[in-house]
Amino acid sequence: MAKKTFKGRPLIPGNLEGKALASKHPFNVSASYMENLFGGNTKTAPCTDVVNKEWAGKNLAGQILCFPTGVGSTMGGASLMGVGSMGLGPKAMLYAQHVDSVSVAGLIIDNVWNEHNVITIDQLGDEFLNTVKSGDPISIHEDGTVEVG
Amino acid sequence: MSGTSTKRKTDLLDYAGKIGHSDMGATDADGNHKLGFSDRSSKPKKGDPLAPYQMPLTQEEQDIMDGKQGEELAKVMKIVVAHGNAFNAEKLVDLGGAPHSSLFTGQDYLMPIIDMFQKCADAGLKAYAPYTVNPRCYDVYNVNNNAKDLKVIYELYAVQRELDWVHVQLGAPDLNLRSCACYVDEVGNRPPPGTYVAWAESSAVNYGNSALGLRTNRNASGMELLCALLGKAPLFGLMTDEGRMSTWLVDVKTTKEPDWGVLGTAIGLKVVDANPFITGIDKYLGTEVSNDNMHLLKKMGSATASSGAVGLYHVENITPDAKEKGRNLLKEGYQTYVFDDKEQARVLATYPTDFPDRPKDPTVAIIGCPHNTYKEILDWGTWVTEAIEKKGLEKPAIPTRLLCANVVRDRLVKEHPELVGKMTAADMRFSNMCSLSYVGMKDFSEDMFAVTNSAKTRNYYGFAQYLKDEPLIETIVSGKIPEGA
Repeated sequence: MAKKTFKGRPLIPGNLEGKALASKHPFNVSASYMENLFGGNTKTAPCTDVVNKEWAGKNLAGQILCFPTGVGSTMGGASLMGVGSMGLGPKAMLYAQHVDSVSVAGLIIDNVWNEHNVITIDQLGDEFLNTVKSGDPISIHEDGTVEVG
Repeated sequence: MSGTSTKRKTDLLDYAGKIGHSDMGATDADGNHKLGFSDRSSKPKKGDPLAPYQMPLTQEEQDIMDGKQGEELAKVMKIVVAHGNAFNAEKLVDLGGAPHSSLFTGQDYLMPIIDMFQKCADAGLKAYAPYTVNPRCYDVYNVNNNAKDLKVIYELYAVQRELDWVHVQLGAPDLNLRSCACYVDEVGNRPPPGTYVAWAESSAVNYGNSALGLRTNRNASGMELLCALLGKAPLFGLMTDEGRMSTWLVDVKTTKEPDWGVLGTAIGLKVVDANPFITGIDKYLGTEVSNDNMHLLKKMGSATASSGAVGLYHVENITPDAKEKGRNLLKEGYQTYVFDDKEQARVLATYPTDFPDRPKDPTVAIIGCPHNTYKEILDWGTWVTEAIEKKGLEKPAIPTRLLCANVVRDRLVKEHPELVGKMTAADMRFSNMCSLSYVGMKDFSEDMFAVTNSAKTRNYYGFAQYLKDEPLIETIVSGKIPEGA
């Protein structure tokens, strides 16, 4: 596929190359990590949000997650920190829309307090989400530029 | 300090979707995917929304950020400011009243947060005022007082001690005040209208913003306590005049008093995270928020927050913002949602009533999510004991769990000791635990068929049956759900 470039707002900047894991469904953080939060799984992070057909059952650990925005319980931020401390958090969170206040809180706390950086870029736009597919190569740059393809 | 690792390993993929459904699952009553979070910014965006933003800080705030009051408080300031910058917050504002924290689950995954706050406590930091906290997830005295439950609890909540101890050190020493309904008189966390606070707990945020007229965003668990240590929060969203405007008019046209839980559920599904302006219900409530109607607002509001992500609603002629500004709160181009008898029936019909993997008949009644007010426990005690006496029974068919803060229970014991005696005989047990945690706790909730008058509990768990008050009383007494309930 032809390479496409998108520009977002880097909230926690960084450079990274890898493969995308994309969903058009909002990321319900707490609901997605239930096996890690409540089930004792410390090896993988299978998505337990059964409503999210694109991600249900897929391993979220170490992924570059591409999604519209975060939703769900106010425990979402703490959940992200929790899976991060297990080494099972995402490497990057790429929001097509504006960040939600819950998930980004966990990312910022982890970044400032623990110096644990999950690259976080928001407002990449609907076209970004229409373009990116799971498995696509993706390049993230510190200025918030994201290249797909 | 580090948490002990639990050894439980379960097949949660089959189980997910049945427990731990959280607020704002982003699907409507028909299962359609919905996006929410449309009303985030404190003001209409100007200029480039992708441009870096730095809110102005006072010299004192900058000094804190620069570490002049210690490394820990500097980090707290950096987090709070970064979070505010993400939402183009105008500035930091001083907080009043008292904080309310939703950090209540002493589970391993919370250890990074607990560790952070323990370091803050070690550095001598404290909340700006004594604060309230959500209830614990369990009650080893009144409910979970058996070996099987205790095993589950001590494995699942392995770091509860660490969490509770952190709260004590930071300014929440009294577990008798633990409640999600921190605003009831007996708990007493109800600042005056217009007070800036940084609360967490979706139902408390919802009630505080709406019925009390407070100004708080729907904070992530942890962020509320960081703001409490700082005594400040970034000004954006629901804390601003602009962010408190309504984009939805909800016109209630039922022929009699609505089912408050169903109404709240319907509103949440429809408006998601917008601020609804609700008309047509003041005739059932009176002229102001009071101890006689707060439980109805609590029931409706918590349902809007659990089926959607509503952090603020306005009720015409009742809630503080609406009394002050009336329909001027409606933004140009607002949408209208009519809730009539037909719509009520439609939404109610989406509630499941068939639970093949549960016991055939109800096993327990759960009343108090969010936690009961004094009026509610007095009413329920009266209703159930009178219903038993009327039928000439010694006991009801199933036990009732009445969830409230200990101080609310204590008031009933003091003012109505004879009734409390009858309630105890009628298997009505008070508990200060969290309904949601109890109803959904894996490894013992599977044997339970819970009936509840809480739309919030029902919205979280498809396996709890929602009933209106009268059929719920009948179900408690007879053990059978009445036909057509």
